[in-house]
Amino acid sequence: MAVNFRVELIWQGSDDNEASSMFLTSDGRVILQGCGISAQEREALALPRDGDLISVDRALIRAIKDML
Amino acid sequence: MFLRNCWYVAALNDEVRDRPLGRMILGEPVVLFRAGDGTLRAFEDRCPHRQLPLSMGKVVGDALQCHYHGLRFDGSGKCVRVPGQDHIPHNARARTYPVAERYRWIWIWMGDPALADPAQICDFHWLSDPDWGAKPSYLHVEANWQLIVDNLLDLTHLAFVHETTIGNMALVEHAAVKVQRAPNNVLVTRWIIDQPAPPTFVKVGRFTGNVDRWQIIDYTPPAFLRLDVGACPTGTGAPEGRRVGGIGMRNLNAITPETETTSHYFWAQAHDFEPHNAEMTERVFEQIKTAFLEDVAVFTAQQRMISLRPDAPQVDINADAGGIQARRIVDRLYREEQDAAAHATAAE
Repeated sequence: MAVNFRVELIWQGSDDNEASSMFLTSDGRVILQGCGISAQEREALALPRDGDLISVDRALIRAIKDML
Repeated sequence: MFLRNCWYVAALNDEVRDRPLGRMILGEPVVLFRAGDGTLRAFEDRCPHRQLPLSMGKVVGDALQCHYHGLRFDGSGKCVRVPGQDHIPHNARARTYPVAERYRWIWIWMGDPALADPAQICDFHWLSDPDWGAKPSYLHVEANWQLIVDNLLDLTHLAFVHETTIGNMALVEHAAVKVQRAPNNVLVTRWIIDQPAPPTFVKVGRFTGNVDRWQIIDYTPPAFLRLDVGACPTGTGAPEGRRVGGIGMRNLNAITPETETTSHYFWAQAHDFEPHNAEMTERVFEQIKTAFLEDVAVFTAQQRMISLRPDAPQVDINADAGGIQARRIVDRLYREEQDAAAHATAAE
């Protein structure tokens, strides 16, 4: 049976704000929960046309600094 | 590294009687006793006269009498009698510690007495709740306290260390673990759905088929871990909050550092099924105790290796997530405590 052990990390600050989840997967990746960037947003914000982009909130950035 | 401004468990309540009990806590010798009226007391285990441990003495009325020259110390630690002389030196005083009795444990505050608030004692009500059967115990462990915390926050080791008791491979295969970190708390939640029950659960829960099993570990610094564990027959709704037809237990842990390399491990097992059946309480306790002794062998061996080479590098894996977060909380609280102490010293 293949090992499929996955950890979800959730950070809560002193203001009770909870960051969205980070997932540590068994193949070594860290997967972040965020929102995909639409083609319109890419154009409006002059973002690269190619590659997958997501936006994450600042609480998640704090969580990454604190937890990983 | 010890946090001082917090409550620790110093003893089982029935360990402390009218005979003094000596115990090293956070590297400090402490003597615990009950005065003649039953009041709980904790002093530094050192006579200010010639340093003999006061735990070698005896309780006389409400005072503790040193075994060597018979100096007596009242409940405030003040010397009230020096045999053979009327004059009592003003500095003949034993240091005292705030103490409290709760949940069948004796608690002690090793830091600034002005900050000791019994309302901050971590909740372990299952030990004294009539709706639960519970048995507390004590282990002396030759290992640093944080190794025990690490162990309790990572339950993947159950599959290997405890494969004949409370573990099975379902714990590391197809497992989704959630680690929630709050400023002073770590909660590790894990559900194992539609898997065989481990041997201990089969014995006490009489399961005949697969179960939905939960492990919810609640960590509060410095070293309190309350494990909510249990199982219900698969498909009966336990993950949605309907725990019926199964078993629920609380594994309760309070680790008190003795020294940097030894610990007092107070633990208990509580169960919600047949709570007034003493035989069941004993049976559950014995099953879990077997697993605990397997863990103690692991901590002790780890400590031996760490002591041989304290700076040996360590590798982290995903299963360490809970333990790593707990250590970060302790590191932060330690820094805060040190900063506050330095600030207070500078202000004097």
